[in-house]
Amino acid sequence: MARLRELQADFAQAVLDGVDTAFGHCIRASGLGGGRRLQVYRNNVFLSLTEALKAVYPVTQRLVGEDFFRYAAARYIPLHPSTSGNLHDFGGSLPEFLATFEPAAALTYLPDVARLEWAYHQVFHAAHHPPLDLAALAVAPAERHGELTFTLHPAARLLVSAFPILRIWQVNQADFVGDPTVDLTEGGIRLLLIRRENLEIELQPLPAGEFALLQALAEQQDFATACERALAVQPDTDLPALFSKHVQQGALVDFSR
Amino acid sequence: MVAKPARYRLGPGTIPAQAGIGLRAPHYLEVLETRPPVGWLEAHSENYFGAGGKPLYYLERIRAHYPLSLHGIGLSIGSTDALNSRHLDRLKTLIRRFEPVLVSEHLSWSSVGGRYLNDLLPLPYTEEALAHMVRRVSQVQDYLERQILIENVSSYLQYTESTLPEWEFIAALTERSGCGLLLDVNNIYVSACNHGFDPGVYLQAIPAAAVREIHLAGFTVNRFGQREILIDTHNQRVYPQVWALYRQAVRRFGPIPTLIEWDTDLPALEVLVDEARRADAIVGEERHGAAA
Repeated sequence: MARLRELQADFAQAVLDGVDTAFGHCIRASGLGGGRRLQVYRNNVFLSLTEALKAVYPVTQRLVGEDFFRYAAARYIPLHPSTSGNLHDFGGSLPEFLATFEPAAALTYLPDVARLEWAYHQVFHAAHHPPLDLAALAVAPAERHGELTFTLHPAARLLVSAFPILRIWQVNQADFVGDPTVDLTEGGIRLLLIRRENLEIELQPLPAGEFALLQALAEQQDFATACERALAVQPDTDLPALFSKHVQQGALVDFSR
Repeated sequence: MVAKPARYRLGPGTIPAQAGIGLRAPHYLEVLETRPPVGWLEAHSENYFGAGGKPLYYLERIRAHYPLSLHGIGLSIGSTDALNSRHLDRLKTLIRRFEPVLVSEHLSWSSVGGRYLNDLLPLPYTEEALAHMVRRVSQVQDYLERQILIENVSSYLQYTESTLPEWEFIAALTERSGCGLLLDVNNIYVSACNHGFDPGVYLQAIPAAAVREIHLAGFTVNRFGQREILIDTHNQRVYPQVWALYRQAVRRFGPIPTLIEWDTDLPALEVLVDEARRADAIVGEERHGAAA
């Protein structure tokens, strides 16, 4: 298998890294030269990986334009190669890449928009989960409630940004109608993304206290700590109402002592 | 001495020797609501590797009405890396849940050193590569506890070190691993044009008993100066030359479950159904011709 392994390594290097090792000599030049034939594979590989990124990041692509997106993808692909045979796993580090990608530096909000799109993609494919067992929760003694920890629904994500990324996302949807102007000075946002029972995905902007509560619970802090954090950032947070809202809407699905 | 390969069965149920179409996300609702008159459906395995959500929701409902084939594009079975156990696990879970009649992968590799190119890259046709593929196909069949089909891919280069023609490599792989064949007639045509061999010779060399499924699709012609190269793009109707080769295949192999594949620039569902009908018509004509 030694020779086959060497051949595959050279092929991958020639395609992904543009390094023309001894590989050119391994291609039979009949009519078309080996370089041209290799170029077909390079095109196919970059095209399909770029298409995979476009499918996950349509808003990001729309913000920078198709040519720029393809250019960024061509830089991204060799630096953060795919590590799975399932293309849906590819592209999770694009937001971090964009944050350090010099040509996009002026678009300060771009990495956060990309983070929102990756979170959306994850929520789309995430597992199902039954709602929280209220009967079991009722059995837990009230004086011990502060010690409980909760689990966020597998199809829920929390996201915070210093930019109005929800508004940017909304006005860049294909079916958006209305004034597409975004005021970047409008400020940041805290978001809950959650897939509902009907499989539609909701993007809920949350006040600071509510977000802090869910964030702390998602980090496996106990309920008392989560409440303290919520009140610390927003003293008027109505904790009982918010807790029951997120149990009913299915964001909190499990608890343990 | 080569051990006699284990002979695995196909999945439960049967796929009619009637044309099917590839199931693609934009068609989910329409397939479910209109139930187009095709014999079966084929889904790309990896599109259903997620833990939940719409793809699995629709596949489950659609599966209730059609025989199913699962077609993998990412297992990288010909790679010299260890088999990706996470990928195989996901595939096995999917097979348990949907009970496909057919499960197929490609005669290709797509990853090395942990990096995936996510493309169907050709293998050199050497004794070394053949022994490797036999081992890998056997490992996958053992793990999945069923027979898999291996599909010939379109290729745009040939290796100087290849010592066997592709058809001999495939025939030997079938014989030694016990796998079935998914014969992609479009891919045979594309590679024949790109490398200058006779597609009829290819068909003649294929062991008829191993052929379980046929693929048909459209290709794209790219020009480099005076030279053309055909690219397997699955973005249009089947070419007349490929229909002619399909007719030859039907004559040689009899009626075989045939699939219309279309991935890029996906058209209206009725266009796929129409292509499937053309495939059925060719099978009908050949059957009639044989009886006359």
